[in-house]
Amino acid sequence: MALYHNQPMAHAQEPTAAPIEHRFNPYSDNGGSILAIAGTDFSVIAGDTRQSEGYNIQTRYARKVWQLTDKAVLATNGFAADGNNFVKRVKQRLEWYEHAHHKPMGLKSIARMIQTMLYGKRFFPYYVYNILGGIEEDGSGAVYSFDPVGSYEREACRAAGAAQSLIQPFLDNQIYFKNQQPEPGSQPFIPGNLPLATVLSLVVDSFTSATERHIEVGDGMEIYIVMARDRTTDDLLGEGKLQKGMEIEELGTLGEGQGERTFLVRQALKRD
Amino acid sequence: MFLTRSEYDRGVNTFSPEGRLFQVEYAMEAIKLGSTTVGITTPEGVILAVEKRVPSPLLESSSIEKIMEIDSHIGTAMSGLTADARTMVEHARVTSQMHNFTYDEKIGVESCTQAVCDLALRFGESVEDDDALMSRPFGVALLIAGIDEKGPQLYHTDPSGTFVRYDAKAIGSGSDAAQQSLQDAFHKQMTLMEAHSLALKVLKQVMEEKLDENNVQLAQVTKEKGFEILGENELKAVIETLAAA
Amino acid sequence: MVSKAVETPNAGFDFSNYARNEFFGQRLQGIPKATSTGTTIVGVIFGGGDSGEEPGVCLGADTRATGGPIVADKNCEKIHYLTPQIRCCGAGTAADTEFVTNLISSNLELHALSQGRPARVVTAMTMLKQYLFRYQGHVGAHLVLGGVDVTGPQLFTVHAHGSTDKLPYVTMGSGSLAAMAVFESSFKENMKREEAIALVSRAIRSGIFNDLGSGSNVDVAVITKNGTENLRNYEMPNERGLKSRNYKFRRGTTAWTKESIRSLIVSEEIKSTSGAGKDQGGVEVVPVPTGAGAGGEEGMEIDS
Repeated sequence: MALYHNQPMAHAQEPTAAPIEHRFNPYSDNGGSILAIAGTDFSVIAGDTRQSEGYNIQTRYARKVWQLTDKAVLATNGFAADGNNFVKRVKQRLEWYEHAHHKPMGLKSIARMIQTMLYGKRFFPYYVYNILGGIEEDGSGAVYSFDPVGSYEREACRAAGAAQSLIQPFLDNQIYFKNQQPEPGSQPFIPGNLPLATVLSLVVDSFTSATERHIEVGDGMEIYIVMARDRTTDDLLGEGKLQKGMEIEELGTLGEGQGERTFLVRQALKRD
Repeated sequence: MFLTRSEYDRGVNTFSPEGRLFQVEYAMEAIKLGSTTVGITTPEGVILAVEKRVPSPLLESSSIEKIMEIDSHIGTAMSGLTADARTMVEHARVTSQMHNFTYDEKIGVESCTQAVCDLALRFGESVEDDDALMSRPFGVALLIAGIDEKGPQLYHTDPSGTFVRYDAKAIGSGSDAAQQSLQDAFHKQMTLMEAHSLALKVLKQVMEEKLDENNVQLAQVTKEKGFEILGENELKAVIETLAAA
Repeated sequence: MVSKAVETPNAGFDFSNYARNEFFGQRLQGIPKATSTGTTIVGVIFGGGDSGEEPGVCLGADTRATGGPIVADKNCEKIHYLTPQIRCCGAGTAADTEFVTNLISSNLELHALSQGRPARVVTAMTMLKQYLFRYQGHVGAHLVLGGVDVTGPQLFTVHAHGSTDKLPYVTMGSGSLAAMAVFESSFKENMKREEAIALVSRAIRSGIFNDLGSGSNVDVAVITKNGTENLRNYEMPNERGLKSRNYKFRRGTTAWTKESIRSLIVSEEIKSTSGAGKDQGGVEVVPVPTGAGAGGEEGMEIDS
């Protein structure tokens, strides 16, 4: 007679079914957030400048928003290395296009090209969420948003990145007037019609609020404003139009210059 | 040192001591054997007209295809070895579709013409890893007509891969006389109808047979309707105006 | 002879609940995740020697509580009370640090009562490590324990698995490296009280600004044999700026599908029946007013 009938603990735990795979993971998430809002004759594209990995800040100033042409600005978010490389390739394609076709690429063409570039890496994607903003051929402000493999859409506004879930509902409410009833007898709300000053305030409040409640958002923000040709700049450059702590600079034209103007506004954000 | 001309004829990529590529020049000669083709630019659009040689009464003239669509806003007419043009038109069509797919816009007429001309010099001995080369130059010239944001445009391409823009151009066997007639009659403010009549009038001068709706073909590219080949009734109508004048 | 297999009791630990939890985890799309305090907590011993000051312990903590990347609480308290002269900073799972310090605080009070003298810091440390070891690291409390007892100032760290360290300056939590960098460069023995407070708050600030898990304010506690001084929100280097817009909504902004207003005053008619159902002289029958509310006479329904 056996002293021990069963191996003790034999039933308790099966050995792990599959061998544990150790694989190189080429991606990482560098946090941060971006957003863009279109107006009738302007477009605002913004992003914070913090780049992080896990609980570490890699840098307090990393660019996420890029001027592509006189009428197009691209914001990238996700894996920073992919984002930087993607922007580099987009810029290269824009230069090639200008050589081949003797004209700068239009906004909608840039949007379509970005789709084909992203989908071209369908099975090893750029881990990047893109938002493209600028001025359309017809002079209207436009925003295009993309997923990492190239699905895209023209919209009035879009937020992406770490704080997307915090900012997008706010924008839906303030830009698209979701869950807001117009005053009885007044005109219905029309999205994409807000004045520049209002849009800028919404952008600033989006980022200061996201900084409060999201650990990966902060340090600083860069707001690009693209204005259609012949549009007034009084509502941006006029006395007292900018909030305290904001610095503005006009970015010179990159090409021939067809009257569109791009401005860059910087503001500090909390650093904790 | 001094070799005879025939020895430089062999290599399609060999310059003669005088700096000429004979095979390319011969290819240009092939065009002069082709049927006459005319293109005219007007502020309203561009027109293309070709002579269709119908050597036999048993030949179904509608099966002769000398004007082809490249895209909804670009068309082309050819003269020379028309079979070679198929390769070029195919390339132009693919390029044009690719452009539309990639950039969500219509390709420019010049860009399209450039794409066709990029093909022209891909002949000769194949270099390693360079597949699908052609053995000889194309024996065809094209008139490429189209409209883009720069307005109506007409381009002429030849077997050397050179392309030039024209207000009005004639190629093919009757091109010398036809070009002279175009030069005399062309003016910048021509209407589309005037251009149609002029084109047929010029063809009529250089054609051996009597011009009718079976031995010519007319096409136009306009801003409103893009590229279209004129139907039999429209063609007849233009021919009637000629007769009346 | 019929022999029956003897049921041998399993020796050692029983991990069968592990399998059970994994099973529930699969059914519930993941085991529930607790709020964790990505944290910076620190402690230093100061005074004594030729400083001419009372020896003591200075503890510090940030005030950010997180759930994943979201800030759950911007001003939480991470310096927990154990006894009048012992405090404990907690990092890790918020519920665990709160519960375990509360529990040990209770037990220390009972201990002091039964022994008739204040509990020592080592006692608190021992109770904590024994409790944490029993749970094999599943109680996610990472602690900095400090206080003053009859043996003088005492400072410990206690890890979730039950291990402890006794050191003159300590840091823990996700911001421990940032804070330790400050200590390693600037710690001195026998610091003055004010020096110690300044060093501790600098270490916490280093965590607040360089570690994403830490943020908001600096809390400090200073313990000497004379008592404990709680310096709650000793520094507030991250105050919220003003919003640039006013987000007050117009009355009537929110849509509704149905409005019904019901009067809470029920309509009743009171009949005086005294005197065998006969009307009594001098008693007036007054109907109770109805619909005194916004609905008017009857309950009003709008848009139904």
